[in-house]
Amino acid sequence: MNISQLQQKANELRLTAVRMVYEGKDGHPGPALSIADIVTVLYYDEMQVDPQNPNWQDRDRFILSKGHACPIVYAALSDKGYLGEKVQDFHLRALGSKFQGHPVMNKTPGIDMTSGSLGNGIAIGAGMAIAGKYQQKTYHVYVIVGDGELQEGINWEGINLAAARKLDNLIVFADKNGWQSGGSVEETIGPNNIKERFEAFGWHAQEICGHDHEAIKNAISLAKKTKGKPSVIVCDDMKGKGIPYMEDNNAWHKGVPNDQEYEIAVKVLGGAE
Amino acid sequence: MMTQFSGTREAFAAAMLDMAKTDSRIVFVSPDSLKAMRATKFAEEYPKSYIETGIAEQGAVDAAAGMASCGLIPFVGTYAGFLTMRACEQMRTFVAYPKLNVKFVGINAGLIGGEREGVTHQFYEDLGILSSIPNFTIFTPADAAQTYHACIAAAKIDGPVYIRAGSGREPDVFERDEPFSPDGFTVMKNYGEDALILASGFILNRVLRAADLLKAQGIKTVTADVNILHSKNNGQLIHLLKGAKKIVTIEDHNINGGLGSYVTSLCCEHHPVPVKRIGLSSFGESGPADELADHYGFSPENLADNIKGFLKA
Repeated sequence: MNISQLQQKANELRLTAVRMVYEGKDGHPGPALSIADIVTVLYYDEMQVDPQNPNWQDRDRFILSKGHACPIVYAALSDKGYLGEKVQDFHLRALGSKFQGHPVMNKTPGIDMTSGSLGNGIAIGAGMAIAGKYQQKTYHVYVIVGDGELQEGINWEGINLAAARKLDNLIVFADKNGWQSGGSVEETIGPNNIKERFEAFGWHAQEICGHDHEAIKNAISLAKKTKGKPSVIVCDDMKGKGIPYMEDNNAWHKGVPNDQEYEIAVKVLGGAE
Repeated sequence: MMTQFSGTREAFAAAMLDMAKTDSRIVFVSPDSLKAMRATKFAEEYPKSYIETGIAEQGAVDAAAGMASCGLIPFVGTYAGFLTMRACEQMRTFVAYPKLNVKFVGINAGLIGGEREGVTHQFYEDLGILSSIPNFTIFTPADAAQTYHACIAAAKIDGPVYIRAGSGREPDVFERDEPFSPDGFTVMKNYGEDALILASGFILNRVLRAADLLKAQGIKTVTADVNILHSKNNGQLIHLLKGAKKIVTIEDHNINGGLGSYVTSLCCEHHPVPVKRIGLSSFGESGPADELADHYGFSPENLADNIKGFLKA
């Protein structure tokens, strides 16, 4: 896909994600929109995956460590054909649904790892990357973590491990939108200096605009060329990106649009899914 | 040929050496537990299969989950409580819930396992914690030989397994080549029908001596070792319980959550007879394993007296 097609696809996925929250009357739209562009580049430009064979052993792996942002990943999986026909009724968070409140690997085709308990994605991704090297496979492991999520201590066990084992097949996106459930990251815990922290742990670190598809593509390309170190791509993101009343508004960390708000979302995102 | 060993940690290391010969999926994930798990030789012979995570149990369990999701069979071995307490959530959410093929070997279990280290390194809650988490198979081998076979059996199960191990103070009871019983128990002595005594873990030798003391006093019991807790294949164990007039459970674990809880649940549902649970109801303290076990009620004489009192009541 070219950049304009990726931008179009990102907005389609955004609308699907917001629709499933609106219809399911529960979920986290702000975090989902924040990572929509990263997810779009990964699924439509970068990752070697086969929706017809989701457990293909040589596939690239993806972990959504900040599992509450899952509606955007569910939208991508549906659109890519992991569930056969494109899903119309997601029944997000409903009893018996394949689309649980947080991702579950054995319920939803294409989910490589259960997630949602914050902080665990990098260490699990490191394990996948270790297995890849052990089995002499060439796949890459991609993990998306939140900036608030990095307050969990377990992250740094995984970050340490990945650097120690020189896991250059592990690429982490840090979704730096500056917000966490209770308020701003900086007001909660101090400087949001993610890049410097990863560098201090021996990672290759880049910082880009996480809504710039070209920049995301270039950063992945550079990360893959970097040998002997795991990579972090710190993405300066905007929570709720794409829907004006949600943008940088932490009230939409968790929330459900009403009918009028949903109509606005459909309009500003172009109406297509 | 079985690699030779003495003690449950050495048994783990021997099983790893033997399994790695024929199965490259077997790896040892070590949160700085290489020496504690006696696995130095394994690391030398299979350096790629030794994955060191540093002192980071949660990270070790998460990494093992990732490895298992990609087809490896990781054994995470370290102190029982650093697994089941510190990394409890990782064992639950990222291994048990997705039914990933990760094996855990928890050493220093019980007073006998933790002995001189004191309470921080004595773990008598591990079984209670795991008992409430679905999808775990829980093995409680009674000595080194059984620990070896428990590791071999664990690798053949597709899913999470926890193996309770000690620290070298475990007396040998079983024959070296006695397999790990798939029925979940082994009858060790069959003296008579006055009571059924069930033991789990490394106090089995003490329980067997208590059974002999009771026999000398005219009290004839059946004594069995229970090696799998909450097994789905528990039909034979229920059959054994159904033959008992009174039952005693003995374990080096808190009185709640381990063997006693398991057996009382089965009895309530299938065969409601009086059950006496013998175990720990307090924290321990530092001391040599045998002295500690005696002090906390596990001397053969104490056990025999305790059982006798229960049968007379």
